[in-house]
Amino acid sequence: MADVDAARRKLEAALGPEAVLSDPLALRLYARDASMVEGGCALVALPTTTEQVQACVRAAVTHDLPIVPRGSGTGLAGAATPIGDSLVVATARMTGIVEVRPEDRLAWVEPGLPNLDLADHLRPMGWTYAPDPSSQQTSSIGGNVNTNAGGPHCLAYGVTSAHVLALDVVMPDGSLERLGAEGPEAAGYDLRGVVVGSEGTLGIVTRVCVRILPTPPAVRTMLFGFDTVEACAATVSAIIARGVVPAAVEMMDQGIVRAVESFAHAGYPVDAAAVLLVEVDGTDAGVAAQTHEVEAAADANGVSSVRVASDHVERALLWKGRKSAFGAIAQIAPHYHLHDCVVPRTKLVEVMRGVYAIAERHGLIVTNVFHAGDGNLHPLFSFDRSVPGTLERVLRASDEVVRLCVDAGGALSGEHGIGLEKRDFMSLVFSAEDLAAQACLRAAFDPDGRMNPRKVLPDGARCGEFAIAATGSGHAASDAADLPEGSWI
Amino acid sequence: MDLIHPRTVVDVAEALGTASQDGISVLVVGGRRHLDKGNPTDVDVELWTTQLDQVVAYEPDEMLVVVQSGMRCGALAELLAQHRQEWPADAPADATVGGVIASGSTSARRLRVGALRDTVVEMQLVTGDGRVVTSGARTVKNVTGYDVHRLMTGSLGTLGVITQVALKVRPMPERRRTLVAVGDVALATTIAAEVPLVAGVLGTHEGLEVRLEGWPDEIDELASAVTRLAGDTVALDEDSSFPRIPWWLWPDGGTVLEVAVVPSSLPGILAGSTNYAALAGVGIAWVGAASLGEIVAVRRRVEGTGGVAPAIRGPGGLGGTLPVPDVHRRLKASFDPANVLAPGRAWTPGTAAPRAPTSGG
Ligand SMILES: Cc1cc2nc3c(=O)[nH]c(=O)nc-3n(C[C@H](O)[C@H](O)[C@H](O)COP(=O)(O)OP(=O)(O)OC[C@H]3O[C@@H](n4cnc5c(N)ncnc54)[C@H](O)[C@@H]3O)c2cc1C
Ligand SMILES: Cc1cc2nc3c(=O)[nH]c(=O)nc-3n(C[C@H](O)[C@H](O)[C@H](O)COP(=O)(O)OP(=O)(O)OC[C@H]3O[C@@H](n4cnc5c(N)ncnc54)[C@H](O)[C@@H]3O)c2cc1C
Repeated sequence: MADVDAARRKLEAALGPEAVLSDPLALRLYARDASMVEGGCALVALPTTTEQVQACVRAAVTHDLPIVPRGSGTGLAGAATPIGDSLVVATARMTGIVEVRPEDRLAWVEPGLPNLDLADHLRPMGWTYAPDPSSQQTSSIGGNVNTNAGGPHCLAYGVTSAHVLALDVVMPDGSLERLGAEGPEAAGYDLRGVVVGSEGTLGIVTRVCVRILPTPPAVRTMLFGFDTVEACAATVSAIIARGVVPAAVEMMDQGIVRAVESFAHAGYPVDAAAVLLVEVDGTDAGVAAQTHEVEAAADANGVSSVRVASDHVERALLWKGRKSAFGAIAQIAPHYHLHDCVVPRTKLVEVMRGVYAIAERHGLIVTNVFHAGDGNLHPLFSFDRSVPGTLERVLRASDEVVRLCVDAGGALSGEHGIGLEKRDFMSLVFSAEDLAAQACLRAAFDPDGRMNPRKVLPDGARCGEFAIAATGSGHAASDAADLPEGSWI
Repeated sequence: MDLIHPRTVVDVAEALGTASQDGISVLVVGGRRHLDKGNPTDVDVELWTTQLDQVVAYEPDEMLVVVQSGMRCGALAELLAQHRQEWPADAPADATVGGVIASGSTSARRLRVGALRDTVVEMQLVTGDGRVVTSGARTVKNVTGYDVHRLMTGSLGTLGVITQVALKVRPMPERRRTLVAVGDVALATTIAAEVPLVAGVLGTHEGLEVRLEGWPDEIDELASAVTRLAGDTVALDEDSSFPRIPWWLWPDGGTVLEVAVVPSSLPGILAGSTNYAALAGVGIAWVGAASLGEIVAVRRRVEGTGGVAPAIRGPGGLGGTLPVPDVHRRLKASFDPANVLAPGRAWTPGTAAPRAPTSGG
């Protein structure tokens, strides 16, 4: 039986009373992430050290509370949305950069550190941390690790999992373990690789050893406008066919370009049907050669406008256009639902057309800004939640978008994760055997199902050999009734 | 010794189902190039993957290829070369794709191309008790569910048989050049740190090999940077392989340890060693050890830096200390409940005592 009061007293003793929140207002603040799913929790703890995180986990174990780890709460899948009598363990106060060791190409950081703070710290030293999610100003490294976050520059450099060497993890029983190693290989199975992207269901990450890279000596940023979406998408394939893997290839459709332009004034071509932002980097000679190939690919597809950043000021401006997309869309309508699905690159146009048709059918405004090089689409529905029936239409349209992407050979999520939002779609892409294997993996870390229950896997996915409910049915009723609105049962 | 030589994934599933029921132990075998890694085990049967050698799908535009696991690396390289692409495993031509992945092997160009484990985006596997499981997706990016395929990568055939994989491939570099020079691992480390985008720097007891890849002008630019640091260099012809010094040709009989440490500690660990090949900047070194004493001495130095040094040739076992033994035990128990897959070979605390002369579990 969960004993919230006893847990609170124990936490207050270990962390200090100001680090434990239980008043209704505070609890509401932590009842959701940036998705549309709202839940609720019993307690929020704000630890500052690994030992305090261990104390949190031990208190939850002793008093039988589910645990929901939380970074900055910018997640878009409801993975950090707590349900039931949960203890939310938020890492917002663990923001240190512990050490940077260029000679070993690594840095140790605390999990609550915002992604951009790390990038800003490394830049003057001549180093970078490659993953750069659009939310990098606020999202935390710990959250990035647990969602395996991507970003524009992950096309050439790989997503978060390629940049995490080791993790200090407080396990579901409160013990502290180091998974992975500072060096290139570690003993045992690749548990570091398994924890990356596990959405806070395997343990609480309290320290991250990231791989850092020297800043490339040269970089060039280009913006191309096209008269058709087809020509824009065809250019992406043409670039790759020419043997170039740019650092970033981002595509934006007309709707988003217009919103961005009136917001950021970055000089984007508002008459183009679609624009492509391409960045190449490397040595001086390498950048020159790649630029030549990229321009040739755009030419061959009838590019209508070309802009090449002449200095770092102009480069920053071109990127400002891309990075302010989410701010800009607030002008369209008060609420948005940002989708995330990934399809084979060659299906981009077909799927975009399908998304436009779905939006039209449901009378919704949709715009698109996405990582075209990776085939990772981000259809963005803008709407006003206060208009009755709108949310339902958005959810129905979203459901169709997911199925469209899966039918095109895609996956449920390219970078935002499954969380609560998409867990019931899991059986669209995985068989019962597949899900059972995933449940086994989870149960191996967390046999009691204490960590972030009911996330990622649909109810009913179990690890047969253990006969253990890997989805925490011990902590929440197994019927759907108690799941929050928006979690698409 | 009996032999299973399946042609389909269904054959694999049936064979393992039977093996689990009857308690028959099985060793998965690909190209036989890396069978020494892990504690040697006596098994009842070998399961050869080499007839699972089909190309399932290849879309050059997607930079993805889907193949069965028994495909030889040489055959895959030929296929990809037709579209000027590569999977940068740098493994022997007769090694299999599944073997490279299951043995967790490292590309010689890891400095530039990253870890091979990050190229595996989808996997089909058969668990020890014969269940067919798929994980991941055929897209370059994907965060749908748990990455069972990451668990299998480097698992030495102890959790399941990898039957099929989707791999991220890359464009073949326009030009390549290998420079050889006089120098040791310390110089190699300097080059790796100071020459941007160098593909690989191999420091050996016989000298240095520096691999450059890229666009024609870029190669010239990089070559002069290397020469500035290394003094005289000699360029090998364009299609020489990298590395040129094949460490597997070292005299038989001894042990080869695969040291993995932070890059800056390689020179210290290799100081005084007369038989090594090190990937500078990466932190991997293959070190010849002629005796048990040498193995222990190398491991002591390595473990002092938080690294590992499993034997990949000859006796020596895996070494190192296993983190979270309970998690390892539960994983083994759920993926191979009857403990038939190479029992005792690796990381299965409680199921077998390590037999080889290791300094750790
Ligand atoms: C405007 C906007 C743009 C975005 N753009 C991108 C983008 O380009 N690419 C991208 O990948 N995502 C993007 N996102 C989604 C989101 O920012 C990422 O998923 C991010 O990685 C979440 O980090 P967070 O710190 O906010 O984590 P949270 O939302 O707090 O948590 C995310 C998950 O990680 C777990 N978690 C967090 N910290 C820990 C920890 N220390 N230990 C264990 N588990 C933990 C939580 O339990 C949860 O499951 C965007 C979101 C917004 C709102
Ligand atoms: C530059 C370089 C050169 C190399 N040259 C050599 C060399 O000449 N000799 C050498 O020994 N190594 C060499 N290696 C390492 C080489 O990459 C591995 O030997 C190779 O990957 C093993 O492949 P294989 O098919 O021979 O596997 P095997 O040796 O048959 O098997 C290796 C391990 O994987 C398991 N396994 C194999 N296939 C599967 C499967 N489908 N599913 C599950 N488990 C499986 C086996 O049980 C075993 O534990 C080299 C590496 C590099 C970087």
